[in-house]
Amino acid sequence: MDLIQTLLDGLMVGGLYATVAIGVTLVFGIMGILNFAHGQMVMLGAYTAFFVVSAGLGFWPALLIGMVAMGALGLVLERVVFRHTLGDHMQGLTASLGVIMVVENLAAAAFTHDPRTFEPPLPGSFQIVGLTLSSQRMLVLVLVVVLVVACHLFLQKTRIGKAIRAMGQNRTGAALVGIQTTQVTAVVFVLGSAMAGAAGVLYGSLFAITPYMAAAPLMKGFILTVLGGLGSVPGAVLAGFLLGVAESLGSRYLSASFRDGYGFMLLIIALLYFRRGLFGHRGKVRV
Amino acid sequence: MSVDARAAPVLTMSPERVTMRERIVAGVPWAGWIVLAILLAIPALGGGRYLVYLGTLIALQAALATSLNIVMGYAGQFAMSHSAFYGIGAYASAILVTSVGLPFWGAVPIAMACAGVLAAVIGYPALRYTGGVHLALITFAFGELARLVAANWDMLTGGPMGMRVMYTPGSLFGLELGSAKGLYALAAGMLLVCLLVTEVIQRSRFGRGLVAVREDETLAAFLGVNVVGYKVAAYVISSMLAAMVGCAYAPIMNFISPDLLSAHETISLIGVLILGGIGTIAGPIIGTLLFFGIPEMLRVARLYRLVVLGVVIVLVALFMPKGIAGVLRDRVERWKRGLR
Repeated sequence: MDLIQTLLDGLMVGGLYATVAIGVTLVFGIMGILNFAHGQMVMLGAYTAFFVVSAGLGFWPALLIGMVAMGALGLVLERVVFRHTLGDHMQGLTASLGVIMVVENLAAAAFTHDPRTFEPPLPGSFQIVGLTLSSQRMLVLVLVVVLVVACHLFLQKTRIGKAIRAMGQNRTGAALVGIQTTQVTAVVFVLGSAMAGAAGVLYGSLFAITPYMAAAPLMKGFILTVLGGLGSVPGAVLAGFLLGVAESLGSRYLSASFRDGYGFMLLIIALLYFRRGLFGHRGKVRV
Repeated sequence: MSVDARAAPVLTMSPERVTMRERIVAGVPWAGWIVLAILLAIPALGGGRYLVYLGTLIALQAALATSLNIVMGYAGQFAMSHSAFYGIGAYASAILVTSVGLPFWGAVPIAMACAGVLAAVIGYPALRYTGGVHLALITFAFGELARLVAANWDMLTGGPMGMRVMYTPGSLFGLELGSAKGLYALAAGMLLVCLLVTEVIQRSRFGRGLVAVREDETLAAFLGVNVVGYKVAAYVISSMLAAMVGCAYAPIMNFISPDLLSAHETISLIGVLILGGIGTIAGPIIGTLLFFGIPEMLRVARLYRLVVLGVVIVLVALFMPKGIAGVLRDRVERWKRGLR
């Protein structure tokens, strides 16, 4: 029972990681833009949810508004900054460092350092076959699965999703067959940012919100993107769930204070011995 | 670096004028060293306590950025573990001095040797394949593991609350280093050592091999460069220098905490390098001066200073991707060839 509970807990946390990782996979793995400011989108998404819920509008509008607002911010960032750094990882990295400093410090000035929480839509817990499960955590798990499946279907079935995948394979080739690469880049950035916003809202419904909360989900997002095989959405999702379960098992049965360490050990082993990731095809990608 | 395609008009210039310009251009590095000497002298000669303290911090950060420049700027390898080695140096020297009872100058080489061995152990498997994003992630994971170890090994490191350091470095060559100005001299000395190592590497066969590896690994291997060996050597040298700078950090700050090892420090160092100009001698120093100078110049609330700095970084990244020193170098080079 204890084991199953721990596994479910890991799946829930892993789902959150996976949601961030999808955004990173789209923007970094497919478009090749090294955007470290992705974590800031998670943070701003969580704050958006906090203010919407505090205004009395409830959780579901907060989820929608968070996604739309972060998508819009992503569009602005893409138009103003990141479309000029395409193809140069170092330049994108530096620009995103600047964006992080601006966003994080403005957020700290505007929202203060106090940790914030908001009322989740499903408080309390329920019992099923001897397991005590937090309702909100299960809701988050379900929402994550819905988001992941929706994102996957979008990439597989729609015309623009196919264009995105084509660009991931070969940008020049995609342009040659008539794909509007600049517009598709913008769409990818909006989509990735909206996923980050959604992840932020879900984070905020479980954990405290602070202006500095962005670092951990961001780093895990990058790790998962590489673990899953660069540019592979199913790989990133699977890696996210695996990481969540590994962390949760490790902190339950080994040592809780070393929680983040299990993921890093997994990463080092994976990078040394399974260099293509879970679903990757190209082993050699340079920063 | 890259040969300027528009170099053709050189042929039409009169020979005397070209030599004149070449002579002036040859003096530019010397002018740079003189500016550095003046900058280093300001806190040492005149200046109140605040200026000396600020000078110490800037010299320490510039030394760290200079040491990172060896592996990132010259070898072109994306090592994210730099602050981890900085922290390892600080912790190792502090533990050796307080628990083992070694003198400060005895602890420095041991701390550097520890860092060198660790860097070789982590660097060899990571660099054996083409580094790239995998190297960045492996070194990042190693750095975070080191931070977690520092935070959890309470007995040795004092745990997440950090440890207090109550010793001063002993005198070296008759130079007393205990006072505020002595600590400044220590930090400035570390900077000079890092600059010296970089300068030697740049002029050596090894340095030219590193640049060849950075520009094209396959071609470098064809030309007989031991690619993996050179990359590992650059990583080890860079990490050892970081540990050396870390040794100075402990007595200067009197306090070390696991936050010192966090990857954010490395990321802001990378920002410093790119801002100043990666792969140049002056770049890390210019970058550090801007990074610390801009916030100090703006006498507004701390948060808004960092916002302004963030905007500056974005603008530099968009409009001068080679960094300030890189742009200056290109300008000087074109002027030498008689181009505007």
